[in-house]
Amino acid sequence: MDHPARSLRSLAALAVALLVALTAGLAGAQTLRVGIETPAQLDPAFASADAEILVLANVYDYLVDIDAANEVQPGLAESWEIADEGRTWTFQLRDDVRFHSGAPLEAEDVVATYDRLRDPDAGLPTGDLYANVVDVRAEDARTVVFELAEPNPFFAYDLSDNHAVIHRADADEFGSTFDGTGPFRVVAYAPEDRMTLEAVPDHPFRAPGVDAVELIFFAEQSAAVSALRGGQLDLVLRMPTPLYQSLEGAPGIERHQVATNAFDLVRLRSDRAPGNDPRVVQAMKLAVDRELIVEVVTEGLGAPGFDTPLGPLYDAWHRPDLAPPAQDVERARELLAEAGYEDGLELELHVPDSGDRPDLAAVLAEMLAPAGFDVSIRLQPESVYYGSDGWLEVDFGITGWGSRPVPQFYFETMIACDAVWNEAHYCDPEVDALIRTAGSTLDEAERTEAYAELQRILAAEGPYLIPYFFPQYAAISDAFGGLEVKAFPGRTDLASVHPR
Amino acid sequence: MIRGAVGTLRTTFARPASAVGATVVAIFLIAAAVGPLVVPYAPTQQILTARAQAPSVEHWFGTDHLGRDVFSRVVAGSRDILALAGAGTLFAVVVGTVVGLFAATVGGWWDEIVFRLADAFLAMPALLLALLLLGTLGPSRNSVLAVIVVAYAPIVARVVRSVVLSVKQRDWVAAARLQGEGLPWIVSREIFPSVLPALAVEAALRFSYAIFLVASLGFLGVGVQPPAPDWGLMVAEARDHVHRTPWALAFPAAAISLLIVGVNLAADGLGRALRPGRT
Repeated sequence: MDHPARSLRSLAALAVALLVALTAGLAGAQTLRVGIETPAQLDPAFASADAEILVLANVYDYLVDIDAANEVQPGLAESWEIADEGRTWTFQLRDDVRFHSGAPLEAEDVVATYDRLRDPDAGLPTGDLYANVVDVRAEDARTVVFELAEPNPFFAYDLSDNHAVIHRADADEFGSTFDGTGPFRVVAYAPEDRMTLEAVPDHPFRAPGVDAVELIFFAEQSAAVSALRGGQLDLVLRMPTPLYQSLEGAPGIERHQVATNAFDLVRLRSDRAPGNDPRVVQAMKLAVDRELIVEVVTEGLGAPGFDTPLGPLYDAWHRPDLAPPAQDVERARELLAEAGYEDGLELELHVPDSGDRPDLAAVLAEMLAPAGFDVSIRLQPESVYYGSDGWLEVDFGITGWGSRPVPQFYFETMIACDAVWNEAHYCDPEVDALIRTAGSTLDEAERTEAYAELQRILAAEGPYLIPYFFPQYAAISDAFGGLEVKAFPGRTDLASVHPR
Repeated sequence: MIRGAVGTLRTTFARPASAVGATVVAIFLIAAAVGPLVVPYAPTQQILTARAQAPSVEHWFGTDHLGRDVFSRVVAGSRDILALAGAGTLFAVVVGTVVGLFAATVGGWWDEIVFRLADAFLAMPALLLALLLLGTLGPSRNSVLAVIVVAYAPIVARVVRSVVLSVKQRDWVAAARLQGEGLPWIVSREIFPSVLPALAVEAALRFSYAIFLVASLGFLGVGVQPPAPDWGLMVAEARDHVHRTPWALAFPAAAISLLIVGVNLAADGLGRALRPGRT
């Protein structure tokens, strides 16, 4: 017969053993809970918001990747060669990559991915980007060759465009099934609510540091930050400046701030009155105090902007000395009067209700008033502002532009005459010629010269105000380390995050 | 008539709670009337060198993150919200009363059609209806007015109808009809006076709901547009900055609560004073 004390002791031992096993299990199964905005579109060809790209960038891999220093790094391609004066690019794929479904990665998958994105008839957002590609072919199972019509020194960056995650050649049902090669596989996706990702432990070059990731969708960034404070989230990517400031000294939370080339663009439509009068554009540029805007709107954390999209991150080309004219309210008022608006110019400023843009609008309205601009603000949810392309039509608007690894992107999609997102309807043949030179020359000095000239022209007379380049902010529980926030936060690699 | 009104007011003020409510409403009315003329700063003026200041002698309610004087904004905002909610309520009450009176008095098909339609509107929450309307009309003061009328006129009409149905079978109405009086005369002379007490209380209640609706729409960013000193909008703007400038959130929020509670207490007193059986 058992001694009651002994059976009690063995029971206690059992309980302790169970408890140890349980905690070990819990500690072993580390889940990273991430608060992001709600993805609206997860088809790689159409995804664009940070939350959407974050899903793709972690479930799939890119052919090549761009690091924090804007250098091209190997991805699914382990090496590449450039021949024929930059017209032929040959990529060697890794031989140890498998899709989540088990199939090995083959050159045909890469060909199919880019063939879809560049199809001129499909009308995809990437059609223009890859218009220069004449042919993509698989030389063998590991070799992919791209033939270009014109040399493109930035082609590796184009290949790593946010949309260009490599999917299987026979993939369909984009946006609802996700067979990627990335460090995380999709286990469950409840649209508008959350997505559960499970680590792929033997990923050949992005081994995940956690066992699972729970992406929880928040409509309100302030709600996500509150959840982080309360311990219901471990990581919040992207938040406006005041929320970031509010986390200063918050216990158990580590703040990350990364300088980017993202900017808020104030632009006056220049193909019709009143913006087609250069005096009105000048008056707008002369009326504002850029330093004060940086200090008030970004709370001093932004980098000063000089009305060109070529920011301080591109230090080889950035020319802050070619700055726009200094503030001169008197002169601005005179110019506006000369242009025929001596009784004031009424303008409706269209503003998406996100980031620091509402504050920028309020400050601008006050700053422009003494010069004779009578600005009324029209605040809209981001989805409405960008919806049905209304933002491309309005006369006066504020638009947020994300960070890109090379400046050529902005010139080609925003400023060239036929640019898809030429929201200011700006068109200057001289500027167009400079953009073409900068984007095709293989002579680095010539490119530097073209970019300098572009900055000089845009700062002096472009219908734009770019008062600052804003940093991106993230905050993470100090139980985790290894986070490296990218300038485009959606490209942040969650595989590098690990429990401390 | 005058004596009746004075008597009603006296009865209303006899209850301390109602007196407090009426006083609060009166203070806000005075602020709305003269406030914008006497506030120390223009409500949209940004004193960029004095951002995020705590309440002080210079800035009684402090300044917000853009250096705007919160006291000036709250006072100036009282005119906006009272005018919008007041005008909206007035229109809603007039429309609701006229429609309710006639449809209920005439009865039959008219009654059926009008009140089925009103029921359809009532089935939708006011805020949902508002968001739907503002989505199509676009945010502006006039749209907010329209929203209040559409949301509250059916409710007023319902209240009016219930009174009319109980009154229109009375002898004095039948007598008027037998005398050969026309419908407008019967409605305005015989029925409307009986509706008045219930209508007064209903109007006061609708007014407090309208204040809350205007503030909610401002908070959601679909009502009055920035940088107008709209209380709801101010709360929304201050929300992200609450750790640094809690006063910029607290004062407009307190103003909303205070005004709504005040109006409700006053309406409650009015209801008691007008209850049948009291003199």
